[in-house]
Amino acid sequence: MSRGLAFNSKYSYTHLNGKGPSEAIDVHDITVKKSRLRIFSSYSGAAVFLTATLYLVVLKELCISSIWSILVCFSLAKVVHHKPVKKESVVIMPAFGVQLETHYWSGRVICRFIPISKILKPVLNECVTPVTCRWSLALILRDEDELTLIFQKLQPPVRMLVPVWKELCAATDCKGNQHHLNLCARNSAKK
Amino acid sequence: MDQQRKHRILMVSDFFYPNFGGVESHIYYLSQCLLKLGHKVVVMTHAYGNRSGVRYVTNGLKVYYVPWRPFLMQNTLPTFYGTLPITRTILVRERISIVHGHQAFSTLCHEALMHARTMGYKIIFTDHSLYGFADVGSIHMNKVLQFTLADISQAICVSHTSKENTVLRSGITPERVFVIPNAVDTAMFSPAPNRLSCDEIVIIVVSRLVYRKGADLLVEVIPEVCQLFPNVRFVVGGDGPKRVRLEEMREKYSLQDRVEMLGAVPHSQVRSVLISGHIFLNSSLTEAFCIAILEAASCGLLTVSTRVGGVPEVLPDDMIVLAEPDPGDMVHAIGKAIHMLPNINPHVMHSQMKKLYSWHDVAKRTEIVYDCALQSSDESLLQRLPRYLKCGAWAGKLFGLVMIVNFLLWWLLELWQPAESIEEVPDLVLVQNEHEERMQDFVEAQD
Repeated sequence: MSRGLAFNSKYSYTHLNGKGPSEAIDVHDITVKKSRLRIFSSYSGAAVFLTATLYLVVLKELCISSIWSILVCFSLAKVVHHKPVKKESVVIMPAFGVQLETHYWSGRVICRFIPISKILKPVLNECVTPVTCRWSLALILRDEDELTLIFQKLQPPVRMLVPVWKELCAATDCKGNQHHLNLCARNSAKK
Repeated sequence: MDQQRKHRILMVSDFFYPNFGGVESHIYYLSQCLLKLGHKVVVMTHAYGNRSGVRYVTNGLKVYYVPWRPFLMQNTLPTFYGTLPITRTILVRERISIVHGHQAFSTLCHEALMHARTMGYKIIFTDHSLYGFADVGSIHMNKVLQFTLADISQAICVSHTSKENTVLRSGITPERVFVIPNAVDTAMFSPAPNRLSCDEIVIIVVSRLVYRKGADLLVEVIPEVCQLFPNVRFVVGGDGPKRVRLEEMREKYSLQDRVEMLGAVPHSQVRSVLISGHIFLNSSLTEAFCIAILEAASCGLLTVSTRVGGVPEVLPDDMIVLAEPDPGDMVHAIGKAIHMLPNINPHVMHSQMKKLYSWHDVAKRTEIVYDCALQSSDESLLQRLPRYLKCGAWAGKLFGLVMIVNFLLWWLLELWQPAESIEEVPDLVLVQNEHEERMQDFVEAQD
């Protein structure tokens, strides 16, 4: 079993390449580092917001400035909010499919399986927002208009996304070429 | 010969493809020629409807359609500091060395140049139009221009008249303004293979039918020319608020068979309209540089134009007949042009235009301006502030304050998201045999 590692201040990336009975399966994990500072600021942000709202509601002073201060506290709380996601994984099973998992700190796990025939291509996308531009890894699926993000909650840096993308391309390419060959064979048989 | 330094240029403007116009095609052709010279060019503009995000156009020219909503005449909403984060991200991830802004009317251009200057990059500005001095809109815009050009490295204007206009409006020293005229894509605008017969003379007009482009002059000139020269026909392409007046004129003088109205002509079909005529009529009331007459001359048409702005600098005397923006003088000029027609050879005109104007020449001259800009020394904020304070008694202090606040916001942004955390983009190498090679280049650049 070989492991690949990479670290960031916020995320850590591990790659488990199986050998033995489950040698075909590849697991890529992006784990969020547990940071006490972030949890503390998240809870204190929420506490400040709730206190401010309760204070103003109790005193019945709902004027423009109080609504403004509620809005400011809310946006501050949202900014420092700590997402409850513990890690996100991609399990690649060549010739079978890809499983996307989201693990939460509370123990809850949400999985989604995508069969290999549904995947047209994995792409590394540059997403431009009004304030920034970042990389994301997504799948183009058959019969779907929207791209499916692989890491839906987390935003890891691109050097952690590249190995996952390489593996996905390798896994889908073999299947993709075979599919193409099958189509050609079927077309020539029809003539 | 030692290797010329290759630059990494960011072109910023509100006006780019999918809009069609003078500024848009200037940015596009200049970027393509700079890419051929080996530089790296990235374009930043606002999103057009659904067209938002990163797009690659011909030859791998990367365009950032930043999702800021346009609010007035294709201009982004001016928020002063709102575009600082995205501009900073683009400048760091593409490893830009020079920022080149286009068009004084573009708010995104002014904001991006301000942010780039705060962050210490060298900036260049190209002015494409002439503006007045008297009305409220012009006064306001000239003050904004004065702010942007107070601390600019170099500026470029498209004609000597435009240079005079820019220098007077903004108070910049003339030594820092270069004149680089626009050019025309002579490969796209070539004359008709067979010469048209001179029995019936066709006069072409292709322009937006607005006041600025002299549509009112057309309304006076066309009936008189039709009366004086019975073998003359007009073809009018373009749309706008003044179209109604032209339709009324057609009705009034019963010129339906002599004046053909085409409506809006898509850019790809302009050449086919031009080659159906002998003479091109331009009646603009103001022009810094008129690319339309270049296109007409490249197609082998003789041009009749108003003597305004930078128009006299564009074509040699044997290809153009100039007139004052007065109906009588224009009719006289059209008469003169009709007499000159038998001596005109469209193919000779086309080859002359090929020698006179080329985008590669414009790109080489722009490269010299970039080299010049990069040679100027780096200065700190304190050294630069006095230039803003000189802009006026009250305006100077306001500009200085705006720059200081921008500097503080940039410093805060550096604390929040350090430049090291913004990942640099590897240069995309376009290979014919796509997929595998591209993946290889990307992966190697990342490792």
